[in-house]
Amino acid sequence: MRATLTALGALLALALAGGQVQSQTKEKVSIAALPFVSSSPIFIAKELGYFDAEGLDLEIKIFNAAQPVAVATASGDTDFGITGLTGGFYNLAGKGALKIIAAQSREEPGYDFVAYVANPKAHEAGLRKPADLAGKTVGITTVGSTFHYNLGKLAEKHGFKLDSITLKPLQSIPNMSAALKGQQVDAILITANNAYQLEKEGAGKIIGWVHQETPWQLGALFTSTRMVEGRRATVEKFVRAYLKGTAAYAEAYLQKDASGKRVFGKKAEDLYPIQQKWVKPEPQPQTVLASANFIDPQGRLLVKDIYDQVAWYQAQGLVDKDVDPRKFLDLSFVQGHMQVPQN
Amino acid sequence: MDLIVREVSHRYGELRALEAVSLAVRAGETLALIGPSGCGKSTLLGIMGGLLQPSEGEVLTSGPLPEGCLNPFTYIFQDFALLPWRTVEGNVSLALEHHGLGAGERAERVASALALCGLAEFAHAFPKQLSGGMRQRVGIARAIVVRPALLFLDEPLSALDAQTRELLMEDLLAIWARERTTSIYVTHNLQEAVRLADRICVLSRRPGRVKEIVGVEVPREERANAEHARALAELQSRLWDLIRDEAAVADREMQNA
Amino acid sequence: MPETRPVPFRGGGFNPAGWRWASWIAFAAIIAAWQLSSSSGLLPALFMPSPLAVLEALARLVETGALTRHLAASLQRIALGWAVGTLGGLAIGTAMGIFAVARSIGLPVTSALFPIPKIALLPLLILWFGIGEPSKVATIALGVLFPTIISTYTAIDGVPRNLIRMGQSFGLPAAMIVWKILLPGALPGILSGFRISSSIALILVVAAEMIGAEHGIGAFILAAGNLMQTDQLVAGVVLLSLLGLAVSFGLSRLERWLLRWR
Repeated sequence: MRATLTALGALLALALAGGQVQSQTKEKVSIAALPFVSSSPIFIAKELGYFDAEGLDLEIKIFNAAQPVAVATASGDTDFGITGLTGGFYNLAGKGALKIIAAQSREEPGYDFVAYVANPKAHEAGLRKPADLAGKTVGITTVGSTFHYNLGKLAEKHGFKLDSITLKPLQSIPNMSAALKGQQVDAILITANNAYQLEKEGAGKIIGWVHQETPWQLGALFTSTRMVEGRRATVEKFVRAYLKGTAAYAEAYLQKDASGKRVFGKKAEDLYPIQQKWVKPEPQPQTVLASANFIDPQGRLLVKDIYDQVAWYQAQGLVDKDVDPRKFLDLSFVQGHMQVPQN
Repeated sequence: MDLIVREVSHRYGELRALEAVSLAVRAGETLALIGPSGCGKSTLLGIMGGLLQPSEGEVLTSGPLPEGCLNPFTYIFQDFALLPWRTVEGNVSLALEHHGLGAGERAERVASALALCGLAEFAHAFPKQLSGGMRQRVGIARAIVVRPALLFLDEPLSALDAQTRELLMEDLLAIWARERTTSIYVTHNLQEAVRLADRICVLSRRPGRVKEIVGVEVPREERANAEHARALAELQSRLWDLIRDEAAVADREMQNA
Repeated sequence: MPETRPVPFRGGGFNPAGWRWASWIAFAAIIAAWQLSSSSGLLPALFMPSPLAVLEALARLVETGALTRHLAASLQRIALGWAVGTLGGLAIGTAMGIFAVARSIGLPVTSALFPIPKIALLPLLILWFGIGEPSKVATIALGVLFPTIISTYTAIDGVPRNLIRMGQSFGLPAAMIVWKILLPGALPGILSGFRISSSIALILVVAAEMIGAEHGIGAFILAAGNLMQTDQLVAGVVLLSLLGLAVSFGLSRLERWLLRWR
């Protein structure tokens, strides 16, 4: 009896010690992300062991909308977040709880991501290019969404008033597709794979791409102010691992041949199981390629564009006047950010 | 108008409520229907006025309708059945509204019925503002406003206290003296029957049959006089003898047994 | 004379009478406590805006004239949707209160459809009615329809049968019995049903304005939520509850007038 107890005690001690060793070697961190291909530098870095190599034990918490990703990071439920930059994000960041530290998706010329899709009737009636959207009815997800911003910049570029477009906030991508099919709206903005699908079904015509009209910094990696102030070394390790992820992503998905056409090779094939594991709904290989948008391989932000975004949202009354990009941008973790304003 | 009940039987499912009841009500008289509880008095009254379809037998009328009669078979209910959202005037007028009378004639008829029942000053009151006695006066006014050929009174005074009952009996007698309406008066109160009826029909316990029909010899207008008190008391105790044993049995019967 | 003792009093209590100012004082105390925890930093602005910030957001709405625009848009939808749903509910509920066939069909159908969240039907409503006003009105109307059906037919069931018998005994035609006895008798139940259905209409205006609404209190609340403008979000919610209070007040007055016979 006593022998058994002693043995049990020894086992317990061993187990405890083992646990200790584990947690000594690896620091637990968490990130909030959407289950999209655009989040995949994180998935790739985790699956290829880049976080482990930095001594980080990363837990990825999957969310189904951009808003909760930012909220979870601001409230401390997760240490990091990665998603698109919206009016809601800037209002939250403006309250001082968030810091943008590296780039995620960008609308970069030559890389299809968000398309302007017209319904066939409207197309026939003369809606042939994004500049024709003046005076039309356009479906977006919500007020203050990236789609809303895209239309605002489009209006600026072509010198018409955003007011001349009737915006229909429809909350979700399926609602937008339905509205386009039902000819309730003249056009919608929608991501590449959905756009191709609509065109294949004959329900829509792609009349242009956001990257052709108004390239911009669409998404970012961010963390909480508390993390930057309290666990700076951890943030540095995290960014290093993330940048290995973006580099691997770029090698697999962002290559072009001599003629400037995008090519996908064996590396894209190799990464497919990772996408299959993390991206929801589980994508076909073709879908992954269609959804693989541009992400800066070195995680560099188009900084001026973020200033412009905030200014635009503020001009629309969608972001509070006292929100200041300088306060929520921390450019010290990544080298070589682009177009950094000099004030 | 005369009313003839011929071999009327009624069943509720398996329960036999009435068994081959035959009787005749003569024009202008008041017939009281008494009997132990559950003997089918109210069922018989419903059949007589066409609110219930008898299982067997028939109910016939003979003789002319009184002049200006709008609703030959008219009821006065134990629970008054007033519409609480209508004023006294509105409740009385309800009985006239679907007859296509001119507004003037309708108002005139209502006003005279109210006056007859002593309700003139309550015309605009709602039922909840009235005492039980006044409410039943509204029920009576509503009944006489249609100049019925036959008036069916279903225990009209049993929801009232003894004093109010006295007052209303006097009112009823005064109205009958004027209108001479043929009336059938269901009651379980023998004193009421003896006081108000020309003839009293005693029903047996379930299934109800006509046990005896007793005439009241003393003229109605004299019944309050002291000299007749003894004769009426004797009649009342004779009626009680007729139903007492059965009333005791009926009292011990289980509901719906 | 033997010793006397007073009989101990054991009644009293269990008789809550309203105390006029209690609700106002409680209300003021809650708001004061809220403001205090906000200004002391106990309640960070990130999680909950202060009452002052909400008040400022409301003031901005008034200044910019957005308030009237949002109110007008929402009230129009609520009024129309509620009216359509209520008329339909009254008609179906009355039929179910009178006809056995209507009841046998209506009861299971109502029970089956009532619990469906109308938001779940939004995609269908868009397909049927588009993204314009009709789908918004339909969302509210559908939400109002079923509780109105239920309150109407239960109210009609509750009309004392002896009143109907009385109507028949005076030879009233069936239509008159419905119009003069059943419906007024059911009115108290129908009116208390209105309280529920008007609240549902207010709740559903947010759902209705999820789809393609540029203006409206619901659209305003949704946009504020998407933009993380919590002060505006709470301001919108305050507007909705004020609207609820106003509707409830109006219904009370209507009840007092229509049911003055009670």
